[in-house]
Amino acid sequence: MDADEEDYVFYGTPIEREEEMTSRKKKAVAESSGLLRSLPPWKQEVTDEEGRRRFHGAFTGGFSAGFYNTVGSKEGWAPQSFTSSRKNRAEVKKQSIFNFLDDDEKEEMEGHSLGTSLQFDTFGFTAAELARKQAEKEQQQRPSAIPGPLPDEIVLPASESIGVKLLLKMGWRRGNSIKDSHTNSLYDARREARKAFLALSSDDVSTELAVSEGVKSDLQNVIELPANDDHKSSESTPVYVLNPKQDLHGLGYDPFKHAPEFRGFSMKNDLFAFKSGKVAPGFGIGALEELDVEDEDVYASGYDFEDNYVQEVEEPSGLVIDSKQKLGGKEKGVLSGFKVASKLDYQLERFDPPVVPKNFVPHHKFPAPLDDSNKHDGDPPPPEAIAPEDNNLKLLIEGVATLVARCGKLFEDLSREKNQSNPLFSFLTGGNGCDYYARKLWEERQKHNDKSKQLLDVKSSPTMQKMTAESRGKILGERPLERSSRDTNSSVASADVIQLQFNLSDTFTKPASLKELPEIAKPFKEDPAKQERFELFLKEKYHGGLRSTDSGGASNMSEAARAREKLDFEAAAETIEKGLRGKESNLSTQQFMEMSATAQAKVTQAEELVIKKMYPKREEFQWRPSPILCKRFDIIDPFMGKPPPAPRRRSKMDSLVFTSDSVKSTTVDETVTSKLPVAQLDPQQFSKDVNDREIEVNVEVEKVERPIDLYKAIFSDDSDDEVENSTSNQVDDPQRKIEAANTTLNRLMAGDFLESLGKELGLEVPPDMPQSINKARTPAPKEESNNVNPGNISSLAVENKPSSTYTAVKGTSVNQEGPHDKAYGQESTQEVRSQNNELILDSPSGGKIKVTGSSENESSKIKAEKMDQEGRKAKTPTGHRQNWSSDSSSEDERSRKRSRRRRHRSDSSDTDSSSDHQDRYHSRSKGRKKGSSREKSSSSRRRYSKHHKRGSRDSPSRSSRHSSERERSESKREKRR
Amino acid sequence: MAGLPKKEANVLRGHEGAVLAARFNGDGNYCLSCGKDRTIRLWNPHRGIHIKTYKSHGREVRDVHVAPDNSKLCSCGGDRQLFYWDVSTGRVIRKFRGHDSEVNAVKFNEYASVVVSAGYDRSLRAWDCRSHSTEPIQIIDTFSDSVMSVCLTKTEILAGSVDGTVRTFDIRIGRELSDDLGQPVNCISMSNDTNCILASCLDSTLRLLDRSTGELLQEYKGHTCKSYKMDCCLTNTDAHVTSGSEDGFIFFWDLVDASVVSSFRAHASVVTSVSYHPKDDCMITASVDGTIRVWKT
Repeated sequence: MDADEEDYVFYGTPIEREEEMTSRKKKAVAESSGLLRSLPPWKQEVTDEEGRRRFHGAFTGGFSAGFYNTVGSKEGWAPQSFTSSRKNRAEVKKQSIFNFLDDDEKEEMEGHSLGTSLQFDTFGFTAAELARKQAEKEQQQRPSAIPGPLPDEIVLPASESIGVKLLLKMGWRRGNSIKDSHTNSLYDARREARKAFLALSSDDVSTELAVSEGVKSDLQNVIELPANDDHKSSESTPVYVLNPKQDLHGLGYDPFKHAPEFRGFSMKNDLFAFKSGKVAPGFGIGALEELDVEDEDVYASGYDFEDNYVQEVEEPSGLVIDSKQKLGGKEKGVLSGFKVASKLDYQLERFDPPVVPKNFVPHHKFPAPLDDSNKHDGDPPPPEAIAPEDNNLKLLIEGVATLVARCGKLFEDLSREKNQSNPLFSFLTGGNGCDYYARKLWEERQKHNDKSKQLLDVKSSPTMQKMTAESRGKILGERPLERSSRDTNSSVASADVIQLQFNLSDTFTKPASLKELPEIAKPFKEDPAKQERFELFLKEKYHGGLRSTDSGGASNMSEAARAREKLDFEAAAETIEKGLRGKESNLSTQQFMEMSATAQAKVTQAEELVIKKMYPKREEFQWRPSPILCKRFDIIDPFMGKPPPAPRRRSKMDSLVFTSDSVKSTTVDETVTSKLPVAQLDPQQFSKDVNDREIEVNVEVEKVERPIDLYKAIFSDDSDDEVENSTSNQVDDPQRKIEAANTTLNRLMAGDFLESLGKELGLEVPPDMPQSINKARTPAPKEESNNVNPGNISSLAVENKPSSTYTAVKGTSVNQEGPHDKAYGQESTQEVRSQNNELILDSPSGGKIKVTGSSENESSKIKAEKMDQEGRKAKTPTGHRQNWSSDSSSEDERSRKRSRRRRHRSDSSDTDSSSDHQDRYHSRSKGRKKGSSREKSSSSRRRYSKHHKRGSRDSPSRSSRHSSERERSESKREKRR
Repeated sequence: MAGLPKKEANVLRGHEGAVLAARFNGDGNYCLSCGKDRTIRLWNPHRGIHIKTYKSHGREVRDVHVAPDNSKLCSCGGDRQLFYWDVSTGRVIRKFRGHDSEVNAVKFNEYASVVVSAGYDRSLRAWDCRSHSTEPIQIIDTFSDSVMSVCLTKTEILAGSVDGTVRTFDIRIGRELSDDLGQPVNCISMSNDTNCILASCLDSTLRLLDRSTGELLQEYKGHTCKSYKMDCCLTNTDAHVTSGSEDGFIFFWDLVDASVVSSFRAHASVVTSVSYHPKDDCMITASVDGTIRVWKT
């Protein structure tokens, strides 16, 4: 028949025989012929060219969908079950996309897959692959004489690729590796050398044999190579070099030839020490582990003598090796093929170190400060002069000299000018007693300089700064501060500023007894803050009078610490005083320096004493051993039968917050409820505990709020800006404060409102629930963060902070929403206005006006929210739209709302798991009650609309924690629309 | 007064790399050592014989302790685990995992029913050897820094930490006493009459505390101890205090007047561990140089 058909020309499509057609096909044909086309769209079916139904509904397809056309197997989309690869490693197959595709899809895919076309298939890989596949296919189709797949070698690419052709033209012969013969030989040589080197370094005598064997086998390989088949060509690619040469030695050079005892060492180093030099020798870690800090050989750091030694030996270049080789050459003869040079050309040039001048003092003099008296340092001392016989004159001269020495040349000039006519002062102009004056002046200056110089030695850079300040004072003609030159012992720059101020204030109000204090050595040098407090303390002590309640920055210290510090200060002051008393007896500067040194020593002693007094410090806590520990130690559990223990403090966080001891007990209770696994507690006892705790908590609500702040700072996402805001609030504009106060007020009113609402709805609303219960039930710290009772007035102060930030955040979010709402808001601005006015009228205080009616965006938003409520009722899409836009508000706001929801929940006393539902119900009912809530204050309306918004947002999916989830919920909503 | 063990009787070699701890067993006939080479070794120090090697640790072994009946060992180290060994077979009976970081010290209690470990993760953990549970039966995490050393009495757990405290946990009363020394505590060691505790601080000072009052009784200075974990102990008569030094010396102080009675160079490198014989005048010292030396009078 086939032969017949070839002879004819056919027009049109042949009518197939009925029995040849599958039913599916028939259907497809029927469809294509328009039988089904007249059907209404919901009855039409989409099929592929085979007539298979393409789309299956969940109830019409299911299992059979998988069976009939998608996968082609009865199992359909059976999920891949885990099979351990441990026992049947060989069976593990890599999944590919082809496992999951239909035939037609596979075809499509294959059409797109990239492969080298035959022509450019240099080494015929693709061709070979194709051929092999083809052969396999064919072999499967027809039985062949040779069972099993054909070996690759038999199936060859039909044509030579262009690459092969090119290579052949370039002189490449089959069977050779693709490289010129030169490099080939070089490679062989290198390999040989490497082998030899390895053999040598593995310190076997027998290795030489192995080497020769290796070489031989290599040679054999080389000989064999040309004889190999064409397809061995790929074999001639170089073997991966396992041990690359990483040293700097010459080929075949064995650094341990003459020192075999180090060979093992170096090998170890090679193996293990390449990652970090400090790994302990001898033991690496497992191959699967990585070297860590803890693997560093801490002990080797100071004492790695062995390592040094080896390094010296290994040093590839330089003198060591040189000399060593020379030595070796002398002893054992030279390297084969070399001979010792009779005359050494290479002479190492050596230079003597520079000669240090004899008068050189290894001491650096820092540039002297801008003290004009220092200029006279270098002056030769004027000759010793006899004091004038007139005692008065002598005194006068001495006095002037001291003054001049202290205050500088200016004073001299001044007095000279003033007393020109006075005969007593003739010594200034070269009259009587002139040389004595010169001498005295020099002496005084010497003394004066001594002081500052001695201090200069000790001082470092901050003192230089100080000196500039001093010199500036001098230039301005101020009386030089005695303290400023002495206070410089403290080396902390920040303290300098404080001290400078302190000094300045000192110049003006210097108490009499404090005069001598400048010479104090600082007993609290390490702690500038403490030093400052100490100075304040001293000042107060010598001033007498009122003592400020808050001394310095000690406000953050606990009472106990303050008391302890005060004791320290007393002790230190006493020692200083003692030192001073001793000092007063001898006034000469030299002795003073000694004296101050001793005083310092005394102070340090005192310090030590203080430290000794402080340490060891014994504290006692309760500690609860676990019952089983007691059992194992054969001790009766001291807490047997007692309620679960109150852990002293769980973390450092608590200790950070609770500095004063009085609060400790409450923290304990707080943490217990939140952290103890509930399973341990039997419910009765638990409730009892909770009751106990309630009382405590109610007593000390003020203190309990504190960890909330802490938790917030640590856990909530918006902690940063909150903290910032709270700190900035203190300095911030009063407007924000007003806002904050208002919002708290609003919240309180809202609380009342909710309560009343709850009563209206017939729900029982308890008065303020103690927080401990909330805490116990909501273990997540985030939720705890804002867990404050709205009705709790005592918590108002604490409330302030977050609420103010809330408004701040809110403001930004409002701005964000602006564009969304604007379009809508434009449509009925009229209403907005009226609403706005209403708000303003409603608000009882001026501050509120600011909150509500200030910006267009804000008002439009309020309007939008209102619309939202209405839309909610009517289920119009616009309402959803509004919802959606509100969704785009910042993460901060949402988290805040979440936390507020918690609060709300606690208000409405619903504690079971269905709370969310109820919550929603609440908000919806509120929406219904909208009309009645009109007369409520604007604040409460704002608040409740917010509630509503939250409720509606929550309705499609509870979780709105992440943006992705949010998106999902959004899309859902869209779909519903 | 019996003489101090200053004569080197034996050198126990075998550890590759630093030896981190050497401990006499209960009766002083054997000693155990552990080190950077991840092994624990059992020796007869008096005859200088290496008896057994216990290998299982994945990283360095920092401390080892043998049960009073010599049947079990416990060890700990850089692999954050405690190993509970059978001495005779050398097999690991149990591994206690739970420390979040390296474990610095380990001790059996009196009945060898509990192992208490001190870790770099600022915690003390007690592990039950009787049950098959590998969970700690007690976690004490009041420390604020790495816990370096632990001592047990019949009713108390004592531990020294880098936060400068020596804490005593009294199981009988359920009380924790914290003695703040102000300096990182490297090692604590109890006097044989259990009235005092000797704490080696990282300011190169040993401090002797009265346990009942928390009073500082004496300070011993002269050695160097600034950066390595080093042991200290009292002699069997409680007459002297001994400790190694980072320069390889061993120091003996008089307990009462804190004078250096003797000091001599014992090792080439840091002396990590000292252990005094419970009855005789014999001491073993371990060092980073890889040797353990036995000292006798």
